Amino acid sequence: MSEVKSFYEVDPKGQFICHKCGIPLVKSDAVFGYLNNAFPVEMPVCPKCGFVYVPEDLALGKVLQVEKVLEDK
Amino acid sequence: MDHFKERSTRYYRQTPLFTKEELAEREFKCVHEEPAFCYAACPMKLDGRAFCAHIQKGDFTSARAMLERVTPFPLILASGCSGPCGEKCRLAEIGDSVDMPALERAALRLGAPKAGKGLFKIKKKKSCAVFGADLFSLILAAELDRKSYPTSFYVSESSPEEIFEKYAPFLEGDDLNTELKRLTSSDIKIYFDSALSKEFFDETKGNFDVICASAKFRDALGFGSPDDITLVCAGTSLISSSDSCRDVLGACFDARRAAVSADRLAQGLDPSNMRGEEGPIVSRLYTNLKNVLPSSRVPEDEGYTAEKAVEEASRCIQCKCEECIDSCVYLQYHKKYPKILTREIYNNVDIIMGDHMMNKAINTCSLCGQCKIVCPNGYDVAEICLKARENMVSVDKMSLAYHEFALLDMLFSNGEAFLAKPQPGFERCRYVFFPGCQAGAIAPESVEKAYKDLCSRLPGGVGLVLGCCAAIAKWAGRTALHDEATAQLKKALESLGDPVIIAGCPTCMKMLSEDIGGEIKGIWEVLNETGLPEGSAKLGRKIILHDSCSARGDVPMQDEVRALAESLGCDLVETELSRDMTSCCGYGGLVSNVNKDLARKMAENTASDTSLPYLTYCMACRDNFAKIGRESMHILELVYDSPAHDCPGISEKRKNRLELKNRLLKEIWNEDVIEMTYDFKIDFTDEAKKQMEDRMILDTDIYALIDNFRNTGSGMIESATGKINSCVRIGNVTFWAWFTESGENEYTVTTCYSHRMTIETR
Ligand code: SF4
Ligand code: SF4
Ligand code: SF4
Ligand SMILES: [Zn+2]
Repeated sequence: MSEVKSFYEVDPKGQFICHKCGIPLVKSDAVFGYLNNAFPVEMPVCPKCGFVYVPEDLALGKVLQVEKVLEDK
Repeated sequence: MDHFKERSTRYYRQTPLFTKEELAEREFKCVHEEPAFCYAACPMKLDGRAFCAHIQKGDFTSARAMLERVTPFPLILASGCSGPCGEKCRLAEIGDSVDMPALERAALRLGAPKAGKGLFKIKKKKSCAVFGADLFSLILAAELDRKSYPTSFYVSESSPEEIFEKYAPFLEGDDLNTELKRLTSSDIKIYFDSALSKEFFDETKGNFDVICASAKFRDALGFGSPDDITLVCAGTSLISSSDSCRDVLGACFDARRAAVSADRLAQGLDPSNMRGEEGPIVSRLYTNLKNVLPSSRVPEDEGYTAEKAVEEASRCIQCKCEECIDSCVYLQYHKKYPKILTREIYNNVDIIMGDHMMNKAINTCSLCGQCKIVCPNGYDVAEICLKARENMVSVDKMSLAYHEFALLDMLFSNGEAFLAKPQPGFERCRYVFFPGCQAGAIAPESVEKAYKDLCSRLPGGVGLVLGCCAAIAKWAGRTALHDEATAQLKKALESLGDPVIIAGCPTCMKMLSEDIGGEIKGIWEVLNETGLPEGSAKLGRKIILHDSCSARGDVPMQDEVRALAESLGCDLVETELSRDMTSCCGYGGLVSNVNKDLARKMAENTASDTSLPYLTYCMACRDNFAKIGRESMHILELVYDSPAHDCPGISEKRKNRLELKNRLLKEIWNEDVIEMTYDFKIDFTDEAKKQMEDRMILDTDIYALIDNFRNTGSGMIESATGKINSCVRIGNVTFWAWFTESGENEYTVTTCYSHRMTIETR
């Protein structure tokens, strides 16, 4: 995967606690994938179990927008 | 085969939509771009429609400029033209044609001359000579001058005034002065008082590359008549006017054609080369005169004032064909007429890499077939859009995202909610009732009553098949999925003894007769034969009958429905959209899956009467009209006096189908039904419910999400609020929800959303 600069960043600022592990989510590397394309991002992630949180405004904003563009490729 | 595997955008395949001939054959049918009738009739190619449009706006200067481009002495043309355009003007069929020559005279007097004249023009190297004056040769000299040939004009007359007096005697006053000035300020070298003899001609002609002569001088030289097209005299290179040149228009037209020949000869080419389209042609344009009133010409008197000219030009109806666009909301939305649309769709399909800008257009035609009926040439946009969908699906170029929800809904109808049973006591049935997936989703009570009624009144056993006719896969262009669904239906019908199908939906009826065949009747026909069941409603009101798009062209079906409706006491109101003219409610072609807004506009356009209720015989039309606030009812609701659910949501539609199946299995076939249940409960807030409807999220998706959360514990808690957020991936979609535990095994869901991308840690 190419080293593209992160296309989105969310800072959890310690406000989200993993339900399973009981520890705060931290800003960490994640990747969105769609139709054989990958987009590196920094997202709130549980350092232990790997749960990644995708906020509503991201899902319905940037993510949807990129989906739509790729869908017509 | 996995129909739901997401494609890769890095997969480079493509197959043409049509051959060049197939494309041309379709495009040819659309006459939108054909010239207006006046334009086609004009040998000088004055576009009367555009000309009138300028004057309608009071823009005489642009109108004048059009004339000045057409001929070098526009006042000669305007004063003497016989106006053959008038005979072809559509208005002549019902009243007076537009008085084009009068408008031309007005434009030349009222419009300002071209500004910025006098730019230095480089003269051509080749030179021309015109021998002898007449109207033709005068205009030809000016045509050649306009083409920047150094032009010599040898005349026996002594002055420009004499030339005009002899050959354009109809010009007077200001008009005469204007045209005189055009001649004297041109670069034409006029040799007055020339002794026009054969000797003089022989001596002089060698100095020029192109030689032309008036008809009289040509005769004096002993040359024969020129060729009808090139105007070059046989066996020579002398250009002269044709024998048919008898009036002002003929002179202007011949001068123009002669100048083209001069060009060819100057380039050393055969004058018959590359002449393009010359002279009047027959336009294939279509203009609907339905709403046009006959009118008379505004008298020209001593010449139009600006006001009078505008009045006369405003009689021009700007002939154009937009029959399909006038009726179709989809074409209006995309602002394209079919010929252009087809070309762009064709190109879109051709794209191997890059953005497919026309996918939305391809996927938002309702495939209703109205265009084919209203177009004078039967242009079939639906065929093109459907073929484009099938084409792009076949090479994996069409995104699943457009239609996945609808396709999964079809799989639900033909999976979990599918049922195929013979009437108890019969192994093989003479009939089978096929109500269609939308009837079960929207009016399950009517379906139940109808089935019981048919069982009780028809001999030989009536089976029941609850499922989708596969229209959804067909509309999505998913041929393989469609074939599988059809095969499943075939098998089910076979197991019932291939009975006569009684369809409850016009689309099912159309699909099943195309894909399965055998004997198929509409339930309306059966009810007309058997008579109404006990307890049917008596409406006794005015109601607009809306025909389904699938009933287009099926007059027997349209008649049967009307007969049944009348027996139910409906006072039927027919509209402009009755029968074959009908337009789509927004359900067809899966439009609403791609553009909800447009689907809504379609419903609003189709059910535009807010004062009367609508009667439908398709459950989807019924539902879509209710959604925009129209009072609507399906004919079976009246027959069985059981109102449908008003605007059930996407989850309720599924629930209704499943419950109908389970209820009938229990009641009629005494079968135990194992219903899928969860050991927890979910409350959805109103906000969450609304989001789910808008975002196409089913409550079963959220049940699966919480089930997953309970099993894996995966999710997170927002410390400030204590709210829980979790997700689950189902197929190609990740669903998310915010919720709280409101009790033991009870959850309150406040927010739902989804995306199609996958997300992983790195
Ligand atoms: S109705 Fe539409 S498709 Fe048919 S000729 Fe007119 S503009 Fe073209
Ligand atoms: S109505 Fe107008 S556009 Fe149509 S033929 Fe007559 S002048 Fe031409
Ligand atoms: S099929 Fe219907 S929606 Fe599609 S272009 Fe024709 S009239 Fe419009
Ligand atoms: Zn964790």
